[in-house]
Amino acid sequence: MVVSFSTARGFAVSVAALALAAAGPSAAETAAGSAAPPIEGSSAPAAGAGAVTLPPPPTAWYADPGVGAAAPVAPEMLAKGTEDPARWLHYGGGYRNYRYSPVSSLTPASVPRLHAAWSAPTGTTGQFEGSPIVYGGVMYLTTSYDRLFALDAKTGRFLWRYDVKLPDDLRLCCGPANRGVAIAGDHVFMATLDAHLIAFDRRTGRVAWNTKIADYKDGYSVTSAPLVVGSLVYTGVAGGEFGAPGFIDAYDAATGKLAWRINTVPTDAADPVARTWAGDSWKSGGAPAWTTGAYDAGTDTLFWTVGNPSPDWNGDKRAGDNLYSDSVLALDPHTGRMKWHFQFTPHDTWDYDGNTQLFLVDAMVGGKRVKAIAQPNRNGYFYLLDRGDGHFLRATPYVEQLTWAKGVDAQGRPIVDPAAAPQENPTARVCPSNLGGMNGSWSGAYDPRQGLVFAPSIEACQLYVKGIAVYVKGIPFMGGMPNTVDADAGKAYGLLSAIDVNTGQVKWRYHDPRPMMSGVVATAGGVLFTSTMEGEAIALDQATGRRLWSFRMGGSGRGQPIVYQLDGKAYVAVPSGGWSSLDALAGAGSMQPEGGHLFVFSLDP
Amino acid sequence: MSKIAWFPLAGVAVMASIGMAAGLALGGGAKAQEGPDGAQAYIGSPADVARGRALFVGTCGAYCHKMTDAHGDAPFLFGCDLPLARTDQMMFHTITHGVPGTRMVAFGGAIPDDDIWRIVAYLKTNSQCKPVR
Repeated sequence: MVVSFSTARGFAVSVAALALAAAGPSAAETAAGSAAPPIEGSSAPAAGAGAVTLPPPPTAWYADPGVGAAAPVAPEMLAKGTEDPARWLHYGGGYRNYRYSPVSSLTPASVPRLHAAWSAPTGTTGQFEGSPIVYGGVMYLTTSYDRLFALDAKTGRFLWRYDVKLPDDLRLCCGPANRGVAIAGDHVFMATLDAHLIAFDRRTGRVAWNTKIADYKDGYSVTSAPLVVGSLVYTGVAGGEFGAPGFIDAYDAATGKLAWRINTVPTDAADPVARTWAGDSWKSGGAPAWTTGAYDAGTDTLFWTVGNPSPDWNGDKRAGDNLYSDSVLALDPHTGRMKWHFQFTPHDTWDYDGNTQLFLVDAMVGGKRVKAIAQPNRNGYFYLLDRGDGHFLRATPYVEQLTWAKGVDAQGRPIVDPAAAPQENPTARVCPSNLGGMNGSWSGAYDPRQGLVFAPSIEACQLYVKGIAVYVKGIPFMGGMPNTVDADAGKAYGLLSAIDVNTGQVKWRYHDPRPMMSGVVATAGGVLFTSTMEGEAIALDQATGRRLWSFRMGGSGRGQPIVYQLDGKAYVAVPSGGWSSLDALAGAGSMQPEGGHLFVFSLDP
Repeated sequence: MSKIAWFPLAGVAVMASIGMAAGLALGGGAKAQEGPDGAQAYIGSPADVARGRALFVGTCGAYCHKMTDAHGDAPFLFGCDLPLARTDQMMFHTITHGVPGTRMVAFGGAIPDDDIWRIVAYLKTNSQCKPVR
């Protein structure tokens, strides 16, 4: 006899009735027992005659009473960022995105004593790109496929957990990543692969509100961590490989109600910006805002970056600069009004999204101190802009191979090599690869004392192939593909470059045999942490790039490490777990299986 | 069977894989083998195969199906290990209906049937899978 039941995701499964009768009900009773936190679970749908109905597996475990500090996360705390080493409150550490911890005990001398403290499995495949948030002794961690965990930051004990019930027809160009939450007040905020923004009670894990950002069937998803400033939660969307028109949203943190939306492509032919797109190509122009922005309290300005125009590798029908693709936008955080913009790669035909990490730095330019934005762009140039007005200051290559442009003019416009354009049968090797350089799916770090930006990157060239682009809402709209010649030949490698913001020059480089595709955290102790595609957590000397320590985690390093300190003890959290498809595209394919795991290391006082 | 579900969504990975594989390989697959093989009209026509290639390059490649047999969730379509595309009709069926629980969306109605057959013709023309003798 065969019976059927439905899982939480609605997949039909057929199994022997005898086995179900033995395993099903008793398992449910155990999970819901008094020792475990309460479980969310709806009644299973009614089954047909003769069928045995089992409850769906649990998808949420709450903490009642709540966990963590009673005090809400105040705006002043968010403004201080990582100044209190017991906290890590933003994806970028602070509003300026330095990912810099004041913990001073992690030094070149002490770091060899670092040891494993605890670990936590994600239970999911796909790239584990999360950046943990720590507040009140609780770590908030997201995984691939949108699981959210609250963990004891000292011991790793699970406190509450929520698995988002995702549909089975997501529109994902590039894997099931989730890079983390934002926190403010009594909520943590997570955006999802099916384009929702969800607010959770940070103490219990219960959902406070759940707002639909867009219809995922139109090609939208969200992989980035939101950002909170004041009473608003900001998020952009992914969808540039589907031609989904990009936008950036602000939501009321208390209610989830949309406060404003700014579109990254025109929505009206009368918009002067539409003249930067041939015909009505702006209607399928993409330009997604799929990474987290930055905030400058001094000028009360929100900065957000924008990705590639669609279709990626065939620009024939979208002649023009294609604003605001591959740009940084300076926005009024209260209204979304654009103050200025700067476009890095006009009329991009290489997939050089402009949305790698922005660092709000103070840099010396021509003997004067300038409030600037520094960005290691996916196109291989390290940019410096005046963050007051977007004025271009400087661009210097930070990768070893850059061929698509012959330089950058005085206004910051690249001098493109015509031979680099995608062709039906290309022969020209073009660098960087479509993934970069650096990529928005991992973070860099900045040491304000040395004035150094640390940028992990891919070193690889490709042949860019042009194909036919067919636009239909919700299906891939790429118009070409990279022929990954270096990746296929085992020639792709990795760099972590320390770039001086005062000169634009590379001070030192750490070379890795495989592309470097993981985030970085820098510390006041002079040691930075990252991970490699070989599956190692590593520590480097911030002054020289010398390798100081390593630990083999096993899974490819694709996540964003953080550092925090509790009761005088320093902790380093490093995610482990890659996604074989993108790893291979980058030239870092391996036999290492997928599967996320967070490793937390500590240094005894 | 492990490659049938390219990358199952999280949570119920194993059970979902089994469910999808069973449904597609037995139910959908059997249905898909019925009907004419539309690719035959284009195999041998350089212009049609070239259009199939351009459509493949523009829609199917890049972040999904690779030109080389690299690891990934999307199958290498020039190889032999294609449980959802053992025949031209099955390949057409998979392209038009998609594969639930994976990144493979349904292209039916979005790309005209004739062009989907041209993609099939291109893939079959350039298959690296040699019959075992």
